[in-house]
Amino acid sequence: MIRKYIALLRMKYIEMLAYRLATFVWMTGAITQPLITMFVWMNIHPEESESFVFYFMAVIFVERMTSAWDVWELDREIREGTFSNLLLRPLHPIHWAIAENIVYKWLFLVILVPVWTVGAAFWPALRPHMTGSQIGWFLLAVVLGAALRFLLSYSCGLLAFWVTKVAAVYGVIDVISLFLSGRIAPLELLPPRLQEWSEWLPFRYMISFPIEIATGAADGGELVRGFAIAGGWMVVLTAALQWLWRAGMRKNQAVGG
Amino acid sequence: MNVRRYGRVFREFFRACLVEEMEYRSEFFGNVISSFFGIGMALLTIQIFFYQTDRLGGWTYGEVLVLLGVFNTLRGCIDFALRPNMPRLLEHVRRGTLDYVLTKPVDSMFYVSFRHLVFWRLIDVVLGFGVIGYGLYVERYVPSVADVLVFLVVMAASFLLIYSLWMMLMTTSFWVVRIDDLSFIFDSFFETARFPGSMYRGAVRMVITYILPAVLITNTPALALLGKWSARTAFAALVVALLFLWIARRFWRFALRFYTGAGG
Repeated sequence: MIRKYIALLRMKYIEMLAYRLATFVWMTGAITQPLITMFVWMNIHPEESESFVFYFMAVIFVERMTSAWDVWELDREIREGTFSNLLLRPLHPIHWAIAENIVYKWLFLVILVPVWTVGAAFWPALRPHMTGSQIGWFLLAVVLGAALRFLLSYSCGLLAFWVTKVAAVYGVIDVISLFLSGRIAPLELLPPRLQEWSEWLPFRYMISFPIEIATGAADGGELVRGFAIAGGWMVVLTAALQWLWRAGMRKNQAVGG
Repeated sequence: MNVRRYGRVFREFFRACLVEEMEYRSEFFGNVISSFFGIGMALLTIQIFFYQTDRLGGWTYGEVLVLLGVFNTLRGCIDFALRPNMPRLLEHVRRGTLDYVLTKPVDSMFYVSFRHLVFWRLIDVVLGFGVIGYGLYVERYVPSVADVLVFLVVMAASFLLIYSLWMMLMTTSFWVVRIDDLSFIFDSFFETARFPGSMYRGAVRMVITYILPAVLITNTPALALLGKWSARTAFAALVVALLFLWIARRFWRFALRFYTGAGG
């Protein structure tokens, strides 16, 4: 399995290099929305500007590290029928997607960490104040967030076996997650009802939760609770994905022929 | 006479696209829903900001709503007439089929920017005006005739500015053929125009006010409608718009020379 993964990773790496300009432009495209939102909040609460700078820079970082694009890939592959090629290969198609995610996120990491380090040298607001265990929990939360987003995106993508507009469905989910994952506002600034929802839905654990750990907002009991809820969603989404996969395979054979 | 001819050509584009779109009538409702969803979420975002404050960059809630309405209207126009043409120009350049466009007896810049129209995006224009109306109602402000006239003038300037900026971006496709769609570069920049320019700070504010006049595009029409205009600003907007149009035109001509040289 490890040998297979090394081969997969190498292939995806070469593929990425072929489209490096597109990759780069695509990466910069995701930055504007958090930056504008940052300016809004700095305007509303000027006295807390420093913490908003840190928060929204962290949003850009975590958002890139956990981002998931599999729904669009699956949507296209299933609709155009090229998904059958992947099915014929001896390895489950999900491993290709996982390998791709690892390669791209590794690239984001390699680019973003030095950028952050240089930035922190100039702006004290960007310097994190984290203990060793906090860093550990933060990294774990980022990985968990990436896994959650990947599972959600891949499950949605599998819906393409039944409906033609999965990208639109995922678009709606994505907009809802804008509010509940902490991209429009740090969650503690939301109205109480929305805060409550964000706590129980999976979106918070995709972006906001790691940042809350980094700023120290989530520690102790809150930390345990967060990981418990995120873990619960992990189980739910994995089960959903497996079920959708099996049902989708039956459906696919029935139609594809 | 020339204007009449181009008017006729545009009407013909309009008709051809309408016929095309009528084939996909069943998509209409889905599109209406998605437009309503989009504006609803934009309103919710502003609600969340105003949950914590009563001023955003010095603008009240109602004023920001008028601004959002203007933004939505302009974006609807972009999606209606400009956006559908971007991938097609890239395709033309990549395949060399731009030759066919160049041999047609219409202006090539006019043709590549308006040939394809997506009608259901006009819903966003209607919704935008709805939000403008609601914002004015919240503000309890009834625009005077002069307000509306200035609004129309600066709105026209905004159209020209957007068209010019879009066209310049589209023209770069002669060199950057590898990317499928450049429009999100424009989108990232245009997103900044959703909020009052006075909200931004430092260098960002300088750039989006003077270099890439995003702020000018949405803020001036909104202020005009709220009765906070000055003749000088309106005039400046018009001059800047014409200047950008001239630059875009020159850039397109320059790129065409490059194309002839490379395409063969």
